Amino acid sequence: MFGTFHALQKHVRNCVLPVIALVVALAIASPALGATAPATAQDAGSKDAAAKTAPAATDAASTAKTPEKAKEVVNDPTGPAKIVDMTGREISLDAPATNIVALSAADCEILFAVGAGETLVGRGEYCDYPAEVLKVPSVQSGYETNIEQIIALEPQVLLMSTMAQTKEQVEELEAAGITVVVSDAQDIEGVYESVRMIGALTGHAGDAEKVVKDMQKDLEELAKLAKDNKGKTIYFEVSPLQYGLWAAGKGSFMNEVSELLGLENIFADMPAWAEVSEEQVIDRNPDYIVTISMYYGEGPTPIEEIMARPGWDVISAVEDGNIINLPNNELSRPTPRIAEGARMLADFIAAEDSAPVAKAA
Amino acid sequence: MASKGHIQDGHFGLRVYIVFGLVTLLTFILCVSVGSVAVPPDETVSLIFKAITGAELPRSSAASIIISSRVPRVLCVALTGAALSLSGAAMQGLLKNPLADGSTLGVSSGASLGAVLAIALGLEFAALPFAGTMVTAVVFAFVSLLAILSLAWRMDRSLSTNTIILIGVIYSMFVSSLLALIVTFASDKVKTITFWTMGSLAGSSYANALVLLGALLVGGSIILSKARELNAFAVGEENAVHIGVNVRRVRLTVLAAVALLTGVCVSIGGCIAFVGLVAPHMVRMITGPNHARLLPASAFGGATFLMLCDLVARIILNPLQLPIGVVTSLIGATLFVVILYRGRKKAL
Amino acid sequence: MISETDSTLLNVTGLTVQFGGRCVVHDVSFSVAEGSWLMLVGPNGAGKSTIVNAISQTVPHEGSVTWCGQDVRSMKPRERARIMGVLAQGNSVGYSFTVDEVVRLGRYAHRPSLFARTQNSDRSYVDAEEKAIEEAIEQTGLTDLRSKSVLELSGGELQRVFLAQALAQQPSLLLLDEPTNHLDLLYQRQTFELLDHWLKAPGHAIISVVHDLSLAYAFGSGVILLHNGQIMGKGPASEVLTPDLLEQVYGMDVQAWMRSLLQHWC
Repeated sequence: MFGTFHALQKHVRNCVLPVIALVVALAIASPALGATAPATAQDAGSKDAAAKTAPAATDAASTAKTPEKAKEVVNDPTGPAKIVDMTGREISLDAPATNIVALSAADCEILFAVGAGETLVGRGEYCDYPAEVLKVPSVQSGYETNIEQIIALEPQVLLMSTMAQTKEQVEELEAAGITVVVSDAQDIEGVYESVRMIGALTGHAGDAEKVVKDMQKDLEELAKLAKDNKGKTIYFEVSPLQYGLWAAGKGSFMNEVSELLGLENIFADMPAWAEVSEEQVIDRNPDYIVTISMYYGEGPTPIEEIMARPGWDVISAVEDGNIINLPNNELSRPTPRIAEGARMLADFIAAEDSAPVAKAA
Repeated sequence: MASKGHIQDGHFGLRVYIVFGLVTLLTFILCVSVGSVAVPPDETVSLIFKAITGAELPRSSAASIIISSRVPRVLCVALTGAALSLSGAAMQGLLKNPLADGSTLGVSSGASLGAVLAIALGLEFAALPFAGTMVTAVVFAFVSLLAILSLAWRMDRSLSTNTIILIGVIYSMFVSSLLALIVTFASDKVKTITFWTMGSLAGSSYANALVLLGALLVGGSIILSKARELNAFAVGEENAVHIGVNVRRVRLTVLAAVALLTGVCVSIGGCIAFVGLVAPHMVRMITGPNHARLLPASAFGGATFLMLCDLVARIILNPLQLPIGVVTSLIGATLFVVILYRGRKKAL
Repeated sequence: MISETDSTLLNVTGLTVQFGGRCVVHDVSFSVAEGSWLMLVGPNGAGKSTIVNAISQTVPHEGSVTWCGQDVRSMKPRERARIMGVLAQGNSVGYSFTVDEVVRLGRYAHRPSLFARTQNSDRSYVDAEEKAIEEAIEQTGLTDLRSKSVLELSGGELQRVFLAQALAQQPSLLLLDEPTNHLDLLYQRQTFELLDHWLKAPGHAIISVVHDLSLAYAFGSGVILLHNGQIMGKGPASEVLTPDLLEQVYGMDVQAWMRSLLQHWC
């Protein structure tokens, strides 16, 4: 969510600094072209680079048979932790890390998922899952990361994602004796890698391997449903109409999951995050709609809001009520919960299919 | 050379209004016919005809696209363009400076501050999604105008271009830091606030168009009724005093109308910079500076200009959509530099 | 005419103007009668323009300014503009209005309000308006320039445009701040003759700031000599513009200097 604040400032200047408006205009143009979507950029960890690995979803399950599988991976709570982080930096610790500050929400989740939640001594302010994480002191993260706050927590290791910090900030942290470890998951395969890396870092390699295997098993099972879903189209709505429609396209986790499930993302020809028109959604006529909007407890729910949009009644998904709200980053954050999100989506589609009005290709 | 026009005090005749109306209407038709999804022109025409005559519309994606999405959007764009352009023209007359505009002075950012504050404090009514933000946006636009202008007058009574730019920058920085502060305190609303500041005219409804039309009718007629006074201000404020203009009252009235127009536009479509600068400037080259002609022409010109900008934003990277502000800013910033450069050369 | 009589139009009493705590005009009192032309003279910074601005209510002031016994300060702007026409110094226009449009603004105070117009279908004000504009443009020699943009005019031409505007306003009192500032000698003469003629009409009076003391002598029916915001002398030119007083105010022998200037080529 660090993009939020930055985007806000950028936007304000756009309104108000006419003298440099040319520059600013280009700056606004860049999110429009898909480089960073505000508010969701970090959650998804999406970058253009992700595109190259996206189609490999079904293969992901098979590549799980990595050489490591030959020797049983077990937890090693005492031995030295040697890892290569996701930017290729070699890191070796005498013993597994016990004091960790994790800045990204995904890394916090993974720490808890591999059973190393108790090592967390500080978290980025937008880390919100699981609920226990909220008890850990938060530090200002993202655009305005507070280095002093981090150093004051005296962690051994700082976990963060690639785009979060500048080189100078990393150097400052290392000078303070903090080991910086970078995670950089761009696709589901990347999630496996970061789970294993965080497992190894904390002496929970065995638990991590189990998490990965569970994910792989879930996803493999879900992939079997792909043939039933052939020809079904889906639309992932990131930002609601009122604020300009933003859709998930190629290179997003949502797109990868839809491919895994055999669904066709109607905006697969777009960048990972793209502003699209109402007309395009109506014209491309999706069978299913996923909205990740949050409900603030007032007014219509995101699903009701979509159903009530004038002119949208001709869309198959709206006509049949095939809309699901996944507001908790299940499909946008690079964590083991991706598998859960995929399961929720698959169950939803299967349930809607059993309804008589459902359409098939 | 005293033509008949003088007797009318520079007002347009009916014929000119028909020409302006036709150009605007043709642009409207063009913008409704072209979009990111191709709908055949004959189908577009028959759909609109049916909608106007109240005949039953077919249940088709074309009907949805044209009647539910494109027409209300283009309507809102046209009304926003007219409102912003009219307020720009009024400010440029009032301040005797062709670079004055809601966006250069920081009034639109003031209005967004108001709207964001409304979101942060939860001043929203479920039934009227825009009401809370709209009222605060209008109030903050007005307060911003008063603050900016009294500061500017204190610094430099002649309101030179330098002062205008400087004040705009300073005020914008100020608002930007206040926004940051609000975001810090209302972190639970961050997402809504961010999305709001990205506000767009996508998803505009007929209800939005109606609100904009209401604001335009009220604010626009106030401004139009002050055409002669604005002429006096544009010649010089001191001269306006000498010929008997109640400068204080006229200034407040015009600023209130400008705040109403800017606030409503910002709360519906977000900040769209430079419309109020570009459209009146182009129109002035045709009509001359007399506000009796400039103001109505600016309303038509602004509507046409923004509809065309919106068209470019919608189709240039099709199927991707560009924010409309990108197009207006690119054109506006260029023009801004041109005006500034010409002004400098003249001053030398 | 400087003392108060039955024909007194404007009466200024105890006029004081302060800018940022500095007293620019101090306790100035005088009155102007019908048919008289009051000349304000004095060196730069004496407060001449400030007095004009105070009477026309463009700068805040203390003391009273009355017109035929009525407080000018409490008048509505339009009412005041129907009484006083002002030609200010250093006029500049921001946009390319035509000469006609700028002169026409002088009729602002005479045009009935929109509301009054809807109540009354009498359109005679239109003819009066056209006639006043026509006359003002003709008198100031602007007929050929009427549809020209004011941005293309010379300083002298612009000066005449604003004089025409003030005349079109058909006031009873003209307040002129260096009316012939940018004008060449021919226009200077024509302007002063025009104003002298204008003054003959009943109910008219003029207050003007001039630097050229010989103009003040020739046309003024009364002179006020100012120095540092205070009146050094007031009365007929012959009594006020004395060598002693001028020496005291200007710090030089003014008459000797003027004489020597003329001697070079006359």
